[in-house]
Amino acid sequence: MTRQEFRALFSNRVVILDGATGTQLIKSGMPVETCPEKWAAENPEALIAVQKNYVESGTRILYTFTMGGNAIKLAEYGLRDQTRELNRRLAEITKEAAAGKALVAGDISSCGMLLEPYGEVGFEESVEGYKEQVRGLLEGGVDLFVIETMLDIQETRAALIAIRELCDLPVMVTMTFEDGMRTLMGTDPVTALVTLQSLGADAVGCNCSSGPAEMVDILKAMKPYARVPLIAKPNAGKPRLVDGKTVFNMDVETFCSYAPLLIEAGANALGGCCGTAPEYIRKLSRLAQNFSPQKPAKPILGMVSSNRQTVFIHQELPLTVIGERLNPTGKKFLREALVQNNMDKVAQLAREQMEAGAALLDVNAGVPGIDEPRVLVNMVRAVLDAVPLPLCLDSSNPEALEAALRIYPGRAVINSVSGEKVKMEKILPLAAKYGAMFILLPIDDNGVPETAEERIRIIGKVYEAARVYGMEKEDILVDGVVMTVATGGQAAGETLKVLRWCTENGFNTVVGLSNVSFGLPARENINAAFLAMAVANGLSTAILNPNSQQLMDIKRASDVLRARDVDAQEYIRHYSTVEAKGVQAAQPAKAKPSVYDAVLKGMSDEITDAVLTDLDKGISPQDIIDNSLIPAIQKVGTLYEEKKYFLPQLIKGAEAMQKAMEVLGPYLERDAVAGIGKKGRIVIATVKGDIHDIGKNIVALLLRNYGFEVLDLGKDVPADRIIQAAKDNNADIIALSALMTTTMVEMPKVARMASEAGLEARIMVGGAVLDEEYAASFGAYYSKDAYSAVKLAESLVQDTESNRQK
Amino acid sequence: MESIKVLQGIRPSYNRNLILSRLGYKRGTTGLDEDFRKLLDDTIQRAVSLCPLVLAYRMVGIEACAENSVKLEEGTVLSGKGLSMLLSQSQQAVLMASTAGPRIMEEIRNLMDNGRTSEAVILDAAASEIADAGLDFLMDYIGTFLRRRGKALTRHRFSPGYGDVGIEQQAHLARLLEIDRLGVTLTETYMLIPEKSVLAVAGIIEITG
Repeated sequence: MTRQEFRALFSNRVVILDGATGTQLIKSGMPVETCPEKWAAENPEALIAVQKNYVESGTRILYTFTMGGNAIKLAEYGLRDQTRELNRRLAEITKEAAAGKALVAGDISSCGMLLEPYGEVGFEESVEGYKEQVRGLLEGGVDLFVIETMLDIQETRAALIAIRELCDLPVMVTMTFEDGMRTLMGTDPVTALVTLQSLGADAVGCNCSSGPAEMVDILKAMKPYARVPLIAKPNAGKPRLVDGKTVFNMDVETFCSYAPLLIEAGANALGGCCGTAPEYIRKLSRLAQNFSPQKPAKPILGMVSSNRQTVFIHQELPLTVIGERLNPTGKKFLREALVQNNMDKVAQLAREQMEAGAALLDVNAGVPGIDEPRVLVNMVRAVLDAVPLPLCLDSSNPEALEAALRIYPGRAVINSVSGEKVKMEKILPLAAKYGAMFILLPIDDNGVPETAEERIRIIGKVYEAARVYGMEKEDILVDGVVMTVATGGQAAGETLKVLRWCTENGFNTVVGLSNVSFGLPARENINAAFLAMAVANGLSTAILNPNSQQLMDIKRASDVLRARDVDAQEYIRHYSTVEAKGVQAAQPAKAKPSVYDAVLKGMSDEITDAVLTDLDKGISPQDIIDNSLIPAIQKVGTLYEEKKYFLPQLIKGAEAMQKAMEVLGPYLERDAVAGIGKKGRIVIATVKGDIHDIGKNIVALLLRNYGFEVLDLGKDVPADRIIQAAKDNNADIIALSALMTTTMVEMPKVARMASEAGLEARIMVGGAVLDEEYAASFGAYYSKDAYSAVKLAESLVQDTESNRQK
Repeated sequence: MESIKVLQGIRPSYNRNLILSRLGYKRGTTGLDEDFRKLLDDTIQRAVSLCPLVLAYRMVGIEACAENSVKLEEGTVLSGKGLSMLLSQSQQAVLMASTAGPRIMEEIRNLMDNGRTSEAVILDAAASEIADAGLDFLMDYIGTFLRRRGKALTRHRFSPGYGDVGIEQQAHLARLLEIDRLGVTLTETYMLIPEKSVLAVAGIIEITG
């Protein structure tokens, strides 16, 4: 079947697919622990019976029973060397079941392992594993392919590339989306669609996932951007526990009641997945006859994607900024980083540009003498790990471009294809094969044309060549070719003429902005003015430094003036935030917090000033402590007890108080006043064998704030060291922390040794696995959290004190 | 017993509310001003970037399931009544590991040493939640493959140290998952290092209808 014939299938009807086969075979006696493909090949009558039933129920595209038939998956059963033969045989069986009444789709799915960098399977290893399966399915005579139940866009690409490198049969692709409308690996429906349809999928959609209701929203999201038919193959609801058994419990009527909604949302093909059976498909088929599906659209937007998001490009949308800074030209630090394969710098530049407003990032590995294919691939991986933005792969080296395009898990932009013979012969086919958009650079083997007319002629030439590969205007960004104005002449004017012509003729455009000012002083002014003029002439994207505030300001203002930022919403949102920050910064007169408020609100940065101000006013250090710090920290404690504050706020208050005490320290010594820290002396430790100390550290911090002198021995502290410290420091309390059942047993040991050493110190304990009863079993006191520990310590010290007085 | 499969660089979606709840936040009662909310969100984001999760799992056959213990195919006996109940309908178990790696703990200690305990506790809570989210991811991931084979995972999982599954059971899971390959070690007191690491076991059940 040709791809055109496949497309024609959808012209005026909803195409019916099959339903679940594996679970039907289990009902027919297939053991659950066996390799399903091997069993089916050896028991063809069972498979034929199930599949014939589907065909009789109205299935028009029948899937081969080869979902787990890729070489990597079969290797788990020791059957890797039978990949080709098993797939051939299973395709033949399904052909027999179809008996010419249904088309047969060679079914391909995940190998069950993730690809690099997330898992252990290499990209090329995955492609090769799929190719072996594809060869078998082709030998078995399949009419088309289906790649289904995919979680990872990268593995999906590997399967699609494997098919495309072996044949030109139609390929349907369906991914599995979780609640929240993303695949488990984080790809949203539109991004999956954009990536797969550009890579050569003839139909795209979703299967398995959840029930039909959730799939309606997935199709709705995809439809406006779909050049290809859409597929929905939902489960019969979600598995539920009923009477102690796990079942899919959506009945036929309920399942099929969603068919009109799915068709309305854009489905061109319907079928069933887990929990469905032939009766579901029979009903679905009858129902679907009453509906006409929507035809695939022809979106006019440029669409590029990473594995996590899609960016739309069009002259009527806000100007798309392509960050230019990941280019080593003129940047010694980046050149050195690339030579040393230090990708931290690359990731940092990517993050900075995203935060500044770049929607795409240009990535260039052009360092003389460098292994460009390897470095470009490493850069792409590092950038995609750091940011979710789509990339513009900037190289004139076809090997480097192909290496990067192959592993790029979305739809990239190639920068660039010119009218030069070698570029059209070597790079244009790469754009077509990997479905990339490309920047059309209107220069040719005669160099850079001076006039707009000559550039437009080259644009026409390259566009015609691209059309031969099936590419359209929306797959292209035309570069206006920016030359410096420093040499005089009409360089800028000619570029603007090109931009206007492109805009009027339906091409999206791009300029590399900074060339225009080359050789002039105060280049930012020229760049900014030119950007505004270019936007006025319809510029769709610009390669620029997004960390230049002037350029980004001009971009935002130009978007408003050209009505590309509807109702100036983005402009208002951006500048109201910026101005709010500016107003705050410009308000030095804003009332400074008092010492009390600074503790209450955990303002560590402001409290030093507040304390010094009070001292300047002649307030004594002791008064600051007694009248501000202690009441404030007590209020913080009360708010925490009432749950009006949570733990970080309690600690923030304590940190501010600690800072205040550091400021007051020298004054307290000088004046020989009491300060705080006289409530009692506590030795605190996390017990031997336990390495968790964050809880203990928080308790120590709070105890200090509430007036205790605390000696923190750290974590994993042996009992004898704790006892010695308590003895040496005449401690009132020994505070112990343990997080695990295996280490809390150290606590009674410490208590016993304290008793044997004749220490009067009380023992208080805390930790996740402890409780009051356990603490009491060895005469210790338990506190459930840090603030309770303070309260407990206060009461223990008071108790000891009153005992002494008695 | 199937081979161990390792996944890395996964960014599972985590539940922000669970991080807040670990920190004692009570919806409707605890008040947060804008500055504090920003500190919280920025610190959680920092935790995400400091937790490059490494995950591993392995399917193991169940030989016998008694009232208080489960015997695995290679002879290991896991004890615990709750665990035994969880796995009572399963012929296979899946053992899982998730580690957030050492960097987050280094950062927490660094903050502690510099008097920034409030940020440290937020990082600590976020890292615990992210490591747990790694196990949630694994269960969803494995569940997708199982579904097409008429199987599913038990809704719940057990981790050593919780319920009646003693912390010492950690040693069995650590051995079977070869956690040293993930950069994780077990102390004599059965603690995992890096600390933001978690092991778990769930059962594989058949979907019957």
